[in-house]
Amino acid sequence: MSPLDYLLVALRVAFGAFVPLCFVAVLVWMERRGAAFFQDRAGPNRCNIFGFRAAGLIQNLSDAVKLVFKEDIVPGHIPHKFYFILAPVLVFVTALISFSVIPFADTLVLGENSYVMQAIPLDIGILWFLACAGFSVYGIILAGWSSHNKYGILGGLRAAAQVISYEIPMGLALVSLLVVYGTVNLNEIARFQGQLLFGMIPAWGVILQPLGVILFIVAAFAETNRTPFDLAEGESEIVAGYHVEYSSMKFALFFMGEYVAMFVSSAIIITLFFGGYQIPWLATETLVAYAKPVALVLLVLLPVANYFFTGWIRRNNTSHYYRPNDPRVREANIYIRCFWILTGIVEIILLGLLLADTAPETIRIFVALLQMATFLLKTVAMCFVYVWVRWTLPRFRYDQLQKLGWQTMLPLSLVNIFVTSAVVVALS
Amino acid sequence: MLSQWLFYGFATLAVVGALGLILSRHPMNGAMCFVITLISQAGLYALLSASLLFALQLIVYAGAIMSLILFIIMFLNIQPADLPQETGRWGFLIGGSLAVVPIGLLLLKIVRSLPAGETTIIGNGFGHVKSVGLVLFRDWLLPFEIVSILLLVALVGAIVLAGKKETIQ
Repeated sequence: MSPLDYLLVALRVAFGAFVPLCFVAVLVWMERRGAAFFQDRAGPNRCNIFGFRAAGLIQNLSDAVKLVFKEDIVPGHIPHKFYFILAPVLVFVTALISFSVIPFADTLVLGENSYVMQAIPLDIGILWFLACAGFSVYGIILAGWSSHNKYGILGGLRAAAQVISYEIPMGLALVSLLVVYGTVNLNEIARFQGQLLFGMIPAWGVILQPLGVILFIVAAFAETNRTPFDLAEGESEIVAGYHVEYSSMKFALFFMGEYVAMFVSSAIIITLFFGGYQIPWLATETLVAYAKPVALVLLVLLPVANYFFTGWIRRNNTSHYYRPNDPRVREANIYIRCFWILTGIVEIILLGLLLADTAPETIRIFVALLQMATFLLKTVAMCFVYVWVRWTLPRFRYDQLQKLGWQTMLPLSLVNIFVTSAVVVALS
Repeated sequence: MLSQWLFYGFATLAVVGALGLILSRHPMNGAMCFVITLISQAGLYALLSASLLFALQLIVYAGAIMSLILFIIMFLNIQPADLPQETGRWGFLIGGSLAVVPIGLLLLKIVRSLPAGETTIIGNGFGHVKSVGLVLFRDWLLPFEIVSILLLVALVGAIVLAGKKETIQ
């Protein structure tokens, strides 16, 4: 193995491990600001470091400090302390490792070598995700059971029954999808979606499998125990469910695990149904061939987008009453300067790409970076759907939840399989 | 070299898990030990480059079946007082293992008498989803379909039985 191989292995594993972790902070922030937006209030906007509030992101930092320095309690009435401590670790780790098979860019071809852009180059793809989803149940069951608490047991029972029963429609929705794609490898699935239908529509899963999208997204919501399926921690009924006895960093692991799971399932939904890392109408080879025009378009569009964005910051980051020497305006000016510097750096890189005589490797890396950006952008958009649903829909009743899973989603997914198979057989 | 050490690791874990399943008193400990055994078996399949079997072992056995068993154990909420008093447990264990010794010796002899062969990776794509699927649907179609109908009958039967109770009430 050459040094380049080692470097790429390190980079891919770092991407697979740290991107979900970094996005925990972004998603918690998005959740809070989103909730505030839907409920017509301001949300967290007071925490600051030297007056810099970063639109509320500093609140996450203070929460993390609070959770780290809280007393870490293992209640005395718990007989199985090992399982009590193992449970949050399991929830967090299974959520994190299920990200490792998701491709975040097309296979990178550098000279004669090609690198699969996943943290673990497994070819079983979606099956690995299903396996990890099965393991996350252990964390919940162990947490509920070892807490030795009525609410904990009830929450664990609810969560486990829900996750197990929604795995079935999820798996069946996947079956019809795999019939269409003909592969379980997520990279091949994403590459399939780079094609065009009738020469004009991108062949995304959402167009080929309209019913499958709905079934899979609903099942994914239930798998991550998010509203409207968050009865496992229904505050109004069972306090906090399976993590009622947890404090400090053990609670933080559950909390972070929930957001990592949300990020990962968004990434899976994006990869399966919304083209993954593909930019619509620009498949990898097209991008490589037209890298310079794309770079030129970006070169022109980026300052325009940044102009409007910084204008938005300037309008909104002010005090709502008169203050002499408004500190928020000063803060906004610094943010705006930072954004212009960033834009400048990206512009210089794009200009270099346009003017210099570029090697094919440089173009490949540029395309891979573009695809990574597309993938992250789509995933964040899907995460916003999670937040949106959470603050829009009320919680289901437990019997309604099971009824929806077994009596509506199961037959629908079976019908979907039959129809899809019939169409695929008829067309082939 | 690495795969050999991995094999030793997984094999030891599998045996330790199986021992834990038999020896531990609390059902939850037993179930968790069994999970360790199942996962290390999945690791052994992966070492044999049977990637589909690896995934299925994790999804079906370690993921679905064992989590149902754990679910039941949690549901029953067994207290230490509910467990039976096992007197003379060690006597049974020693007697049982003495009774198994001849079978073990026989197995050892069989393994010893196996002809030593070079282990090589068979063909390209062995054990992958596509090749296993092709074998199943080309050479073993009828048995495969019969087994799937058997499973379907069990599924329908379970749903019918569960539904019947509701109508009686």
